[in-house]
Amino acid sequence: MTDEAQIAAAPAVDSKREARAIAFGIAGWLVPGLGHALQRMWGRAITFFAVVAVLVFVGAGMRGNLFNSQGGDAFATLGYVADLGTGGFYLLAKYLEAGGPDVSHAYGDYGTRFLAAAGVLNLLAALHAYEAARGRKG
Amino acid sequence: MKFHLSHLQAMLLFALLISIAFGFLSRRRPLERVKYIAWSLLLFLLFGIGIGWAMYPFSR
Repeated sequence: MTDEAQIAAAPAVDSKREARAIAFGIAGWLVPGLGHALQRMWGRAITFFAVVAVLVFVGAGMRGNLFNSQGGDAFATLGYVADLGTGGFYLLAKYLEAGGPDVSHAYGDYGTRFLAAAGVLNLLAALHAYEAARGRKG
Repeated sequence: MKFHLSHLQAMLLFALLISIAFGFLSRRRPLERVKYIAWSLLLFLLFGIGIGWAMYPFSR
């Protein structure tokens, strides 16, 4: 292959890799750990899945506030974005919290933090999966 | 399904889970991960208990 042909082929490879990286990132957001599992990073995949699952399970069990899109103020919107970060587990948390939140007790407030932390952590893991697929992280 | 964790229990569980996740996120080798997790957990607990004591005079 000549130098000119190599230069012409490079953007196509890069855009394919970029698309794959985005797909891994989205997969990792929807199902915690899936973005790493698709890249055969089993340790990280299992860890992120387990950590996010336990945080959501305990947070919902403590009847933390799971925010929805009709929050009304900036904090509720931020909370909604953080909770949405858990991807598919957001629906699981909704199902587990059939009785609704109860923040009249301290443990309900702790539960709210657990749910938000699970979401933010999962977003971080999804970003890591995206970067790893681009070859920036090991 | 209900969990009624005390403040200390919730803090311990939270610190442990986040430390494990950070360790796996930022380190690649097993020994480095264990060291990072232990160090991160220690700092979480130290700061958590430290801030708790710092707020004690204003609690009543």
